[in-house]
Amino acid sequence: MSTTGILTMMRFIVRRNWLRMLIWLVVLAGMIPLVIDSQRELFPTQEARDAYAQVANTPAIAALTGLPYAAGTLGGILNIKLWMTLAVALSLAVVFLVTRNGRAEEEGGRTELLRAGVLGRHAYSLANLIVFTVFAAIVGLACSALAISQGLPAGGSVFMGASFVGVALVFLGIAAVTGQLTTTSRGANALASAVLAVAYLIRAGADVEADDDRAAWFTWLSPIGWGQQMRSYGENLWWPFIVCVVVAVLLCCIALALERRRDLGAGILPDRVGRRGASAFGRTQLGLTLRLQRSSIIGWTVGILVGALFFGGVATAMANLLTGDNPIAQAFIGESKDVLDGLLGFFTMANALLVAAFALQSSDTIRSEESTGRAEAQWSSAISRIRWAGVRMIVPAVLSLILLALSGAAIGLAFGAAVGDASQAPRFMVASIAYWPSILLVIGVVVLCAALIPRAASAVTWGLYGVAVVLSMFGDLFGLPDWVVRNTPFTAVPRLGQDFAALPLIVLTALAIVAGAFGLWRLRTRDMTSA
Amino acid sequence: MTTTLAVDVAGLEKNFGSTRALDGLDLRIETGTVAGFLGPNGSGKTTTIRILLGLLRSDGGRAMLLGGDPWKDAVALHRRIAYVAGDVTLWPNLTGGEAIDILGSLRGDLDRTRVDSFLQRFDLDPTKKARSYSKGNRQKVGLVSAFASRAELLFLDEPTNGLDPLMEGVFTECVAEARAEGTSVLLSSHIFAEVEKLCDTVTIIRDGRTVESGTLSELRHLQRSTITVTLDGDPSVLSTLDGVNDLVADGGHATFTVDSGALPRVLAALAPLNPRELVSSPPSLEELFLRHYGVHAAATE
Repeated sequence: MSTTGILTMMRFIVRRNWLRMLIWLVVLAGMIPLVIDSQRELFPTQEARDAYAQVANTPAIAALTGLPYAAGTLGGILNIKLWMTLAVALSLAVVFLVTRNGRAEEEGGRTELLRAGVLGRHAYSLANLIVFTVFAAIVGLACSALAISQGLPAGGSVFMGASFVGVALVFLGIAAVTGQLTTTSRGANALASAVLAVAYLIRAGADVEADDDRAAWFTWLSPIGWGQQMRSYGENLWWPFIVCVVVAVLLCCIALALERRRDLGAGILPDRVGRRGASAFGRTQLGLTLRLQRSSIIGWTVGILVGALFFGGVATAMANLLTGDNPIAQAFIGESKDVLDGLLGFFTMANALLVAAFALQSSDTIRSEESTGRAEAQWSSAISRIRWAGVRMIVPAVLSLILLALSGAAIGLAFGAAVGDASQAPRFMVASIAYWPSILLVIGVVVLCAALIPRAASAVTWGLYGVAVVLSMFGDLFGLPDWVVRNTPFTAVPRLGQDFAALPLIVLTALAIVAGAFGLWRLRTRDMTSA
Repeated sequence: MTTTLAVDVAGLEKNFGSTRALDGLDLRIETGTVAGFLGPNGSGKTTTIRILLGLLRSDGGRAMLLGGDPWKDAVALHRRIAYVAGDVTLWPNLTGGEAIDILGSLRGDLDRTRVDSFLQRFDLDPTKKARSYSKGNRQKVGLVSAFASRAELLFLDEPTNGLDPLMEGVFTECVAEARAEGTSVLLSSHIFAEVEKLCDTVTIIRDGRTVESGTLSELRHLQRSTITVTLDGDPSVLSTLDGVNDLVADGGHATFTVDSGALPRVLAALAPLNPRELVSSPPSLEELFLRHYGVHAAATE
C-alpha cells in the first residue's frame, strides 16, 4: 500500500508542529476580536459607518486590501481592514508548513530514513496534506466563531471563515506541487510564494479596474479573487468555495502523481547551475556587498515604495476621520497646523524609520560576517579592516539616501493624486531626505556596537532601534517629558510642514561621524572574535 | 634578503581573559621548507596562526613574518601569504567558483588558468552554491584558492579535514610542488603520516608551549629505537647491558628499546650471540608525539 503508515506519520507531523500551528492559530484568529473592537470604537454609530462607506473606496485601498463592499456594516469594515491580511498570512503559513514537512525533510535526508522503513510511498506526503488541511479548517472555524461571538452576523461570519480556508487550501495544493518540482525547500517556498504574489497582483488589478463594487472579470484568474468573490457579509456566495476545493484536490493529485514518477531527493525542474566564477564587478568589495544583499535590497525597496504610496494615498481619508480633539489625532498633529499636515509629517517620519531598518540590517553584515567566521578569510587577505567595513557602511548610507528620496517622492505623488495637486512630490522628497543624518547615526551606532560588543551587537542595535521607533511614534502618548520626545534621533529632525532647522541635522551628522570613526578605529585595533 | 626565516616566533604569549592560550611559544620556519605543527586540540595551533595572520594581537614575545610585523604590516604581508582554515566557511548563496574569485581578487593575484587546473585536480564543481557543498568540498574551495595563489607562504590549518584518501593524495602532491617552487609552508595537522611524508621540520606544542622542534631525524635521534632480534644464544644477558630497556625475551626472540647513543655497544654485545634476524625501527612520529601527551608524559610529571 502506498499509504501504509499514514496514521503514524500524521501523529508525527502534529507532534513536530503543534506549537507552530498553535501560534499561527492564536495570532491569526486573535486579530479578529481586536480589529472588531477597534473598529466598533472608531465607527460607533451607523452614521459614522455610512460616512466611512462614502470614502472607503479609494484605488489605494482597493489595490492593497481588496475592493470594499458593504462598507457601511461592521462585517464589511472588518473585511476591508483584515480579510486580505488573514487570507495571505494563512496561505503563507500553509505554504511554509507544507514545505517544512515535505521538501525540507527530503532535502535534509530524513525522508530517506523514514521511507527506508515500513512506509508507503505517499504516506508522508498525504499525511502532510491532511494535517495542514485540518489546520486551515480549524483556523477558519476559529475566525468564524470569534466573529460570531463579537456579535457579527452568523451567516457572513461562516462565509468569511470558509473564504480563508478556500484560499489557503489552493495554496496548500500549490505548495504540494512546488515541493515536487524543486530540490530545495528554499526553492519550493520561493516558487509557491511567487504564485501567491502573482495571484495578489492579478486581483489587485481587477479590484482597481472595478465597476462600482464589482471587480473586473480577471479576478477569477486569482485564487485570492475566488475567496473575495464569496463576498462574506455581503451576498454570501458558496460556489466560489467549491471552486477552491476542487482546484486544491486537483493540485494535490498532481503532486502525488509527480511523486510517483520521480526519484527520492530529485525534483522535476532542473537544478540551476550557478556561476562558474565571479564577474569583474562581483570580485570587488562593493560588488560582493551588493551581490550578497541583492534580494534584501530589492525586497526593502519594493516594500518601502508600496508603503509610501499607501501612506500618501490614505492620508486625506484618514485626516477626515480624525477630529482634532481625539487623543490619537493630537499625537499626530504635534506642532503642525492641522490634522492632515500632522499626519503627513508623521507618515514621512514612519517611512524614514522603515528606511532606517533597512540601513540597520544592511550594515549589520559587518558583525554577521565576523560571527559566522566568513570574515577570517577576508581579513587575512590584502584588505584593511577599515576599508572592508567602510564599504559595508557606504552601501547602506548611499542606498538609504536614494530610498529616502524615492519614497518621499512616492508619498508626495500619491498624496498629490488624491488631492489633485501634481506639484507635491518635491516638498515631500526634501522632508524625507532630512532624515538622512538620523540614518547615518544608525549606521554609525551599528559599527560602534560591532566593534565594541561584537557578541551582543545585534541585540543591542535592534533594541535601540525599537526604543527609537516607540519614542518617535508614540512618545507623546506615554506622557514622557517634552525634551525627551523632541530630541530622539528621528523626532529632532524638522518635520514636514515645520520650519526648517539646520542645527539638529548638523548635530546628528557629527554624532554619526564620531560613532562611525571610533567604531572603525576599534575594529582595527581589537582581536577578531572566533565563530 | 636579510633573513632566511619565513616565520620567526619566540616566546609568544596570548591570553583570553584568564585563560593562557600561548605561554612562550617558539616556532621557526626556514624559507622554502615545510614545517609541521603538531599538538592536540586546544594547544594553541590556531591561535598561533591567527596571530601570524594579524587577526589576533600577541600579548608578549616576538613574531616576525616574511621580515615584517604580522599586526602592523598585515595588509602588505597578506599579499604574500595564503591561508586555509580547518573549517572553511563560505557565503551560502554564492557558488564555490565565485568565492574562489573573490578571495583571489582580495589577495590581488587571481589567475583563472591556475584556478582551473587546481579545480580539475581536486575534482571540484565550481558552479554549485556553497550551501550544497559537503565539508570536504568546502575545504577544497579553500585549498584551490590557496594553491592557485602565488603566495610565498602557505598557512594550512588542518586542511585535509573531511577529504577522502584520494584527495589527500592530491593535497600531498600540491604541497610537494609548492615546496619545489620555493614556497614555505606551515602545516598544522593531526595526521602523522601526512606530516612524516611532507615536512622538513616538526614543532610539537603543548599547552601553548613548544616541547619539541627540529628535523624529524634530529627528533628521532633523541629517542630510542625498537630492536627485534632472533638469536641462537640466550637473550637474557641483554638485560645487564647499559642502554637496553623494555626487554621482552621469549626463547630465541627478544624485543627491546635502545638509546641511540648506546647502539654501537649493544650491537657489539649481540654479535657473539649469533643473531639470525635483526630489525631496527626508528620511533615513528606518532610515538614521538604520544611521548609528550600519552601515558608516558603523565608518568614523567
